[in-house]
Amino acid sequence: MRTLRRAWRLRSARIALAVLALVALLAVAGGALAPHDPLAQHPADMLQGPSGRHPFGTDYLGRDVLSRLLAGTGLSVAGAIEAVGSAMLLGIVPGIASVWLGRTVEWTAQRAADTLMIMPFTVFAIAVVGALGNGMHQAMLALGVLFAPLYFRVTRAAALGLKQAQYVEAAELMGASRRWILRTHVWSKVLPTVAVTTAQAVGQALLVVASLTFLGLGVQPPAPTWGGMLASDLGYLAQQPWAPLIPGVAIMITVGALNILADAIRDSSGGQEQASPAEAPLPALSPPAAVGSALAPVVAPKEVEDRVTTG
Amino acid sequence: MTAPASTSVLPPPRKGAWLIPLARRLGAAPRPLGRVLTTTVTVFLLASLLTFALGALSEANPAAAVLGDLATPADIARMEAQFGLDRPLYAQYLSWLSHAIGGDLGVSWFTGVPVADSVAEALPVDLSIAGLALLLAVFIGGGAGIAAALNNGGRIDRTVTLICSVLATLPPFLIGIVLIVVFAVQLGALPTGGYIPIGENPGQWLRYAILPAFALSLDAAASLARQLRTSLVGALRENYVTGAQMRGFSARRVLFGHVLRNAAGPALSVLGMSVPLILGGAVVTEKIFNLPGIAQLSLQSAEQHDIPVIQGTLLVTICVVLVANIAVNAALAALNPAARRPAGTRTGAGDVTASSGEGGTR
Amino acid sequence: MSQPAESAKAAPRTAVLTVEGLDVTVGPGVRAVREVSFTLERGEAVGLVGESGSGKSLTCRSVLGVLAAGCEIPAGRITLGGSAGEQDDLTTFTRTQWDAVRGKRVGAVFQDPASFLNPSLTVGRQLSEQLRVGSGLPRSDARSRAVELFTAVGLHRPDEVYHQYPYELSGGMLQRVLIAIAVSCAPELLIADEATTALDVVIQAEILELLNRLRTEQGLALLLVTHDLAVVAESCDRILVMYAGEIVEDGPTAEVLATPAHPYTEALLRVASIGAWERRDLEIIPGRPPETGAELPGCRFADRCAYAAQQCTAGPVALHALGDHRRARCLRPAGLLDEQVKEEAHA
Repeated sequence: MRTLRRAWRLRSARIALAVLALVALLAVAGGALAPHDPLAQHPADMLQGPSGRHPFGTDYLGRDVLSRLLAGTGLSVAGAIEAVGSAMLLGIVPGIASVWLGRTVEWTAQRAADTLMIMPFTVFAIAVVGALGNGMHQAMLALGVLFAPLYFRVTRAAALGLKQAQYVEAAELMGASRRWILRTHVWSKVLPTVAVTTAQAVGQALLVVASLTFLGLGVQPPAPTWGGMLASDLGYLAQQPWAPLIPGVAIMITVGALNILADAIRDSSGGQEQASPAEAPLPALSPPAAVGSALAPVVAPKEVEDRVTTG
Repeated sequence: MTAPASTSVLPPPRKGAWLIPLARRLGAAPRPLGRVLTTTVTVFLLASLLTFALGALSEANPAAAVLGDLATPADIARMEAQFGLDRPLYAQYLSWLSHAIGGDLGVSWFTGVPVADSVAEALPVDLSIAGLALLLAVFIGGGAGIAAALNNGGRIDRTVTLICSVLATLPPFLIGIVLIVVFAVQLGALPTGGYIPIGENPGQWLRYAILPAFALSLDAAASLARQLRTSLVGALRENYVTGAQMRGFSARRVLFGHVLRNAAGPALSVLGMSVPLILGGAVVTEKIFNLPGIAQLSLQSAEQHDIPVIQGTLLVTICVVLVANIAVNAALAALNPAARRPAGTRTGAGDVTASSGEGGTR
Repeated sequence: MSQPAESAKAAPRTAVLTVEGLDVTVGPGVRAVREVSFTLERGEAVGLVGESGSGKSLTCRSVLGVLAAGCEIPAGRITLGGSAGEQDDLTTFTRTQWDAVRGKRVGAVFQDPASFLNPSLTVGRQLSEQLRVGSGLPRSDARSRAVELFTAVGLHRPDEVYHQYPYELSGGMLQRVLIAIAVSCAPELLIADEATTALDVVIQAEILELLNRLRTEQGLALLLVTHDLAVVAESCDRILVMYAGEIVEDGPTAEVLATPAHPYTEALLRVASIGAWERRDLEIIPGRPPETGAELPGCRFADRCAYAAQQCTAGPVALHALGDHRRARCLRPAGLLDEQVKEEAHA
């Protein structure tokens, strides 16, 4: 909690949160704020440049780009959040179980995490959508499964730490300080780590969702998404070379805000303390090193950096 | 057997004590190659199980895929028998896996073409582009990382850091689009898309491959540059660098012969981790640049619910990642002798860098 | 004592290292080394003694050109005058010029040998790299020469050691490896900065013996930097005592130990219970040294000196000659003081 409060004091964190609040508002109310119907086609107004009527111009079917951008926020953000939410569910339970349910469970869970970490996002998502049907939920479930090892590791590290703390306490401390240890541990270490992981995972998920919708996975064509807009712009680069920048910048600002927020929380929590002392705090170099990880660059390189600079 | 248990003074700590060394051992990197191979095999089996499960969970069946709504129950039963789908799942899995290991990935429900043939046709496209991308990432990211570290705190350093942060917020394919706009549409210097096999005409191949490879490489290059910069800044402070200087070694020899060798470990791990990212990114890049790669194959098969092709492409991609991983681990082991120390004498994952000299004898 | 002194006399009197008026700052205006001047002659072993923070390590790092970032040399000259007789000021050297000197004409050994070796290369490879770079030996020759050198520095089973990594060797063995590297290109000068400090007593004695043997065999000058007077007493011809950035005493070891001229040296000897003093209860020197870089009007030891008088703090005290080959930075040289004065001071 103190870490989060300290992070709040950083100006970068406050700006990032303001941006994210705006994105959240657009995600909920973007469709209502749109000046035009995002689906209405006006063949007469095809591929127009920015004007008073269409601040961001129109696309190849004469649809208003601003309206599509606003309306597309919801689907893009909801997708990312669905993916990260399912990742939490799928990661946290085995993470705890792997510490307390014995070696077999632990070994299996770790190998499963290894396995998921080598899966290339898009290839796996295509396979899932191909096998289970082309829908947003299928695609996001696929992403959720692949993001799960992130939470698995965080939870597992935290649980190992707790287990150690319990031993320390059982051997030499009173009951009163057990609560203290638990509280300090959870509030000062686990929560910031989860917050950093989540901010980064949502950012990464937004990028992957953009890739998937760009490929036409997860959404049916007329529905606007940021990635889908990029895909339709691709055919008209000769006429409108600047068009991809509009959804591109929307993605960039959102992901950038999430990354800045993650950095701010991490910096306030003092970097290397995040993971448990027992497990090498290094998803990057640790288990997945045997089998590199699709996810690790989301979180790990920074952690490697932290460790190298502080250690 | 009861006696030792009851005489144990502190059962709880003893019971859990293995956790810490185990966790550390599992967490220590790089691992000895033997263990890497064991893990790789396990991961391959689990991944194949997952791949197979996707097919098993699917409601798609060959008759429906081919005939659509016209399929009668009799058609479905006939075609399921033809593809062996009427057998129990474990038998299907075992035969699929054993055939796959032998190089037979089954045949497409649609075209009847062996999946292995389609993959063999598409894979070189991805491998050559991804290989080029990896090479570019090493040069761009390595160069930028080294320059930033030597310029620690200076203008080059800040520029590299800024570019890396910006790249981390961009969807990788956006860079591909920008490259097309600049080099193909505006300058007309390079083709907007298409592909010529490297064996046919290497020069032309490069013309077609350079833009997608460059677009793919930037993400990995940024991670690599960041990691290399940090490791190098740390390594440059080590005494052995002063030591090498005092022996009259030139700045270049000190950097490439000594510092880089110790700082490259974490960077190499990052590079290994970017292999799945590059392969995943290749899917979108293939679409943008219209390359006839494995991703087009899997996208097409996904639309047609052509399960054998879906499974085959996924499994092959996984194998590519695993092979790349073994290579990275072998390189790590070669770079850093500490990895060859018996497990347990290591002080932890921190050993990857220069500090490994400290752990052994003291 | 006699053996090193004889070898020094036998060698022709040529200066190997000359340091003149060396100042080193560790920050803007913070002078941590002040007007240090001394000369090392061929085959001579000189002990540079002082407590930590006295500037002895900065001095020898200046001679090697490896001062840490932020340290500068605002004044002074360092020259290597070897057999070829050329004179050049090391403080103005570029990296390329240094590369031609370090490892070839000057070798160095440090405390914590493990950290000065590359952890991911075999020690043999590191030695043969030195031979290839410094002496231009081809790979195969460097290899066999390396094994010879390992034998020469007293490593058992040199062939095996050649293929071992630093983490596989003990501290004493690593120090031998570093010594082998340092002397491999036959330098004129070997600098040993606290080279024996972290080792246990037996190994420390062996390493000192090795250094002295190499000095006699190769005729190199040895600058032994240490805080341990006993080490100097055993193995050096001459002793330089540093205090708070300055050289306070310089003279032949036997004479300095017998009749210290500077009260600080005298106090050091008393603490170390060696020299001409009968063994007595362990004493400490009262007070503590001035802060690094502190500017004081007079003698920097005056605060802690038992014999300090008014004149000591009035103005700067120069390092002046006492007889032919002794120097001290003291207005009332302790060892030469009247017994009476001493008794007064103690009373």
